[in-house]
Amino acid sequence: MRTIRTMAIVAIVLGGALSLSAHEDFRVIGTISKQAGSAIDVKKREGTIVSIRIDKQTAISRDRKKVDAAALKVGETVVVDAYGDSEDDLLALEIRLVPPIGRGGQK
Amino acid sequence: MDRLSTATPHVPTTRALVRATAVALLIAGTILVTAVLPAEYGIDPLGTGKALGLSGMAAPAPEAAAVLPTGGRLTPVQEGPAALYPGPYKIDSRQFVLGPYEYVEYKYHLEKDASMVFSWMASADVIHDFHGDPDGQPSSAAQSYEKTTRRAADGSFTAPFSGIHGWYWENPGGDTITVKVTTAGFYTSAHEFHFDGTRQAREVRALDAIPASN
Repeated sequence: MRTIRTMAIVAIVLGGALSLSAHEDFRVIGTISKQAGSAIDVKKREGTIVSIRIDKQTAISRDRKKVDAAALKVGETVVVDAYGDSEDDLLALEIRLVPPIGRGGQK
Repeated sequence: MDRLSTATPHVPTTRALVRATAVALLIAGTILVTAVLPAEYGIDPLGTGKALGLSGMAAPAPEAAAVLPTGGRLTPVQEGPAALYPGPYKIDSRQFVLGPYEYVEYKYHLEKDASMVFSWMASADVIHDFHGDPDGQPSSAAQSYEKTTRRAADGSFTAPFSGIHGWYWENPGGDTITVKVTTAGFYTSAHEFHFDGTRQAREVRALDAIPASN
């Protein structure tokens, strides 16, 4: 019984690792409406709010220069490249802080 | 002393753990080959993906098959300087509006050595990557043909492999940009991929869509 249980756990872990590669890329553009350390909420132009997780691998930049996660403040405009199964389950790979939309863009 | 306090916890032997891990790896490997690879990447060495109806899940979009024209593949046969195809070429023209920092990918399915001509123009400079994704391969297998920032391009293209070939256009700034692309070629379908993860199969037009002049 223990052997079967061990086999099941290892199979589940391996299966979970394999399924990570099934994720797809998403870009979320909007303003930060909430900052909670390991996640940010981004309000998109159409008004919907997307919660995106952040980890140590998430690259954060402004004007192509790396900045600290502390720069992610409510009200900042961001372009987030993330991956996940859907917009309800996203991990940020890269976050760019950009000028507010409608007041000129970042080149 | 009661029975509980004297009970020795069961600790599996190293041999039992190794055996359990080996069996689990075997099960995971079987699931990988029979289900995950056919469903995610279209790789189906045992034919189980087809048997279980998983193979179609690896396609770029569920609607993709619906736009394939009758007559099937447009694979060229070289006859001296000419390449002959089993059917007429198709035409297509699209316009995309890219909001601030948005991107779109637009690609055609071409068989190896099949050709198309194209012209595209944007209302401002866009980040651009002309690239292709081989059939049945993960996105990491994509090959870039030209990657730069530009406003327009006109050219011809011969597919180096069977797959979807086309453009990634990204708006690098805060103003809206329009991109218009016009093509003609021996492709069989078109696919649109948006920055928000949505994708769409687009119908390409047959030659009889062009009215003949007298």
